[in-house]
Formats: sequence, C-alpha cells, structure tokens
Amino acid sequence: MDIDDILAEALHVSAPQETLDLQELTRAWVAERVAPELLPYPDALMERVLTRIRRQIETVEEQTGNMDPKTNFKLIVIQTELERFKFLVRSFLRARVAKIDKYPLHVQQNSAEYLSPSESQYLTAHQNLLASHYQSSFLSQFPNSLQKLDDTQGGISMIDAPDPDTAVFCRALRDVGEINVVGTDRAFEMKRGDVRVVRWSAIREKVLAGDIELV
Amino acid sequence: MALPLPPGLTPPEIAFLCEMELVTVIPRQRLEGLDLLGGRTPPLHPPQRANLPLWLALLLKRQRRANILPPPWLSPPALAAILELESTAHAAAPPRLPLAPPGILPISPPFLPSSTADAPRDALPYHWLELGEILLEAASDDFEDPDAVRRLMRDLREVRMANMRKGVEVFDAQGGLSMTGFGGMEVAEGRAFIGGVIDGLRKIGAARERSGDGDQDDQDNGFPSTADDYDDEMDM
Repeated sequence: MDIDDILAEALHVSAPQETLDLQELTRAWVAERVAPELLPYPDALMERVLTRIRRQIETVEEQTGNMDPKTNFKLIVIQTELERFKFLVRSFLRARVAKIDKYPLHVQQNSAEYLSPSESQYLTAHQNLLASHYQSSFLSQFPNSLQKLDDTQGGISMIDAPDPDTAVFCRALRDVGEINVVGTDRAFEMKRGDVRVVRWSAIREKVLAGDIELV
Repeated sequence: MALPLPPGLTPPEIAFLCEMELVTVIPRQRLEGLDLLGGRTPPLHPPQRANLPLWLALLLKRQRRANILPPPWLSPPALAAILELESTAHAAAPPRLPLAPPGILPISPPFLPSSTADAPRDALPYHWLELGEILLEAASDDFEDPDAVRRLMRDLREVRMANMRKGVEVFDAQGGLSMTGFGGMEVAEGRAFIGGVIDGLRKIGAARERSGDGDQDDQDNGFPSTADDYDDEMDM
C-alpha cells in the first residue's frame, strides 16, 4: 500500500453517507440503463434516498413563504438539486419498468427476487389483466393446446428473454484479473480503469459484485 | 411510463453525469454551506476558492455570483501538449487518470476530482469533451483565450476520433475491444455502431457455428448434407 492508497482511503472514509449514496445511485442508474437484463433492486439505498427526498421537499415547502432574498437563493439551489435527484430516481425506475414490460414472463420466472414490492405488484396485476383480456377476446376460441401464452414446447419458446451476450461497455473498478468469455476461447485481463466492450454474460457476476461498472 | 429509450446512455444523459464533476470556483458572494441531498456544500467566502459540482457552479456563474476556474488541462499549452502526444502515438491509448484505489465502494468518474484547479494537467479526464464544451459555452469569459481552447478542442476531438476508427480494424465478435482512454461522450457516440457491429458479427458467427455443427452431424450419420437440408433449416 503506497501513500496514494492511504490518502484515497482517508478521502473515501471522510465522505459523508449522502455523497456515497449519490455515487451509488448514479452507478445503479447507469448500470440499469446499459445492462440488457433487469438488475437487483437496491432496497436499502432507495429507502435512504427516498426518505431524504421527502424530507427535502418538506424543507422547501416550509421555507417557500420566506421572501428574504438570501433564503430565496438558497431555496433555488436546493430545488435545483432536488430536481436532479428526482430525475435520477425517476429515470432509474422507468428503465426498470421498461425491462419488466419487455420481458414480463422472463422476469416473473427468473428474476422475481430482483423486483421491489411495488414492481412485483405491478407485474402480477398487469400480467393478470392482459391474460384475462386475451382469454376473453380471442384465446377462448382457440383449441386448448394453443391457448398457452408461455409455451416453450416445439423448439421455439414463447417467452421473450434478453440476450445475455449483448455487447456492453464497462470499466473495471478493481483489478479483476482474467475474464473468460463463455463459449469462446477468448480471455483477457482487466486492470483498474480499463474500459472494454464485452459480452454482458462474461462480466455479469463481476458487475453484480461491484468490481466492474457499466458505462 | 416506461422509458422509451434503447439501452445505453444518450448524449444528454452523459452531459447530466458530467454536471456532477467537481470544478473549482472563485465566489464573489458569501454563501453558507447548504445541506443538499448529495452532501453538504462547502461555505463560500470570497475570494477563497471552493470545489463545487458543475451544475451548482454553472448556476452561480449564470447569476454572476462566482467565476469558474478552468481545470489545468483545459489551457492552450496543456491541450497542445496532449494533442501532440495523441497525434504521434498511433492508436495508442491516450494518457488517463488512474482510478482511485479499491475501497468499500471505489470512486469513479464523475466523482473523481479530475477537473478541479489542482487536477493534473497532462491527462484528459473521462468527461473532457462534455466539460470543455459546457465551460466554453457558459463561462467563456473565465478563459484567457477561449478561441484557442476551442480550436485545440476541435483538433483533439478529430485526432481521437481517427484513433478510435483505427481501433475498429481489430473488431471481432468474441472478445472485447479495448476502449480504455476514450471519454464518456466518445463512448456514447461509438456505442450504437460498435455494439451493433459486435452483436451482428456474433450472430453471424453463431449461425456459421450451428451450420458447421449440422454438417458434422450429417457426416456422422453417413448422410451428406444437401440443399434440401438447408431449406428445412430455413423453414424452421
């Protein structure tokens, strides 16, 4: 460990929780926007961020009546930042909903544990609505064997799934050593700070572990 | 409700990220520290310098409450030196800042202090293009020679784009193309093309592999593959 490491660690430890949360939320947002499949919902982080946003809105509401120009300017700054945070949270959730809408059955079967309570409620309710609508409008008139919406027989699956081999851009946050691309004989080393275009399936585990981030 | 955008960050989103970069300002007015959602801002006492996120610095600048100090790498001599290096070192990765060492949660751009007044002058940070453009547009009066900076930025961008295009020659579907050294906006620009080509090559490769396997099976069974076989495959 050299002097830079020690300094950086000191810098890191001294950063307040709020700043760390902003960094984590930003990273989660970028990852969700880039990754082809749904990623785990960061429960604790979202809880903290949403509580803080709620409190900040209350502060703004309390001080809006104050006409003192100095307080007024402070409010402008606070509100600008509030809007930026709200954009981050909203874009993050919308990116997740887009994936849930695109691969509803796949998410239900394979990554149900990645959903937040309200997302899983949305998914179930939406799927039930769709199923009953299809059933009443045309499916009931089909032969029994053709009524399924999630048929995987006959070589072609009806369940749309994201392509795990999609190329993604990623950056190593730590020295992660050798990465083997599954299905090929290709392997390469990734050092801290390296940016590469790789198949999502090859780095998925490392991204979830926080050793690699998507860009 | 769902986001209608395809995967991958768009340029406005990259610019949004870039606005989280720290820059150094020289305040003209006092302002106490504010408890923001992303942490407390340092109190501003003119003429002491302070490091603020870019969005806040721009807000203060627009209201003429502060001046922004351009980062050292955004000065004409520094840019000229980097340009010189990039044009001579063919297709080599440009000099970049090392990432912060591992911690509980390693810091990465845009949270590295790579564009403050005491940032290194011989390396471009990840958000160099966006940051340079934003500063030139919003705070050109804080530069000594904004036109020279603008000209050098444009040259640098062209040289780097040419370097990126050279990298395209080593494309293949299997591995990983190294993009180390390219900035956020450059990655966003190349994303659709590079990602599309790699995915396309992979699909062609997969199809070839599959038909190759098919031949193998046919031979194992003692049946040569015929044109009919291909027709069958197409039907499926």
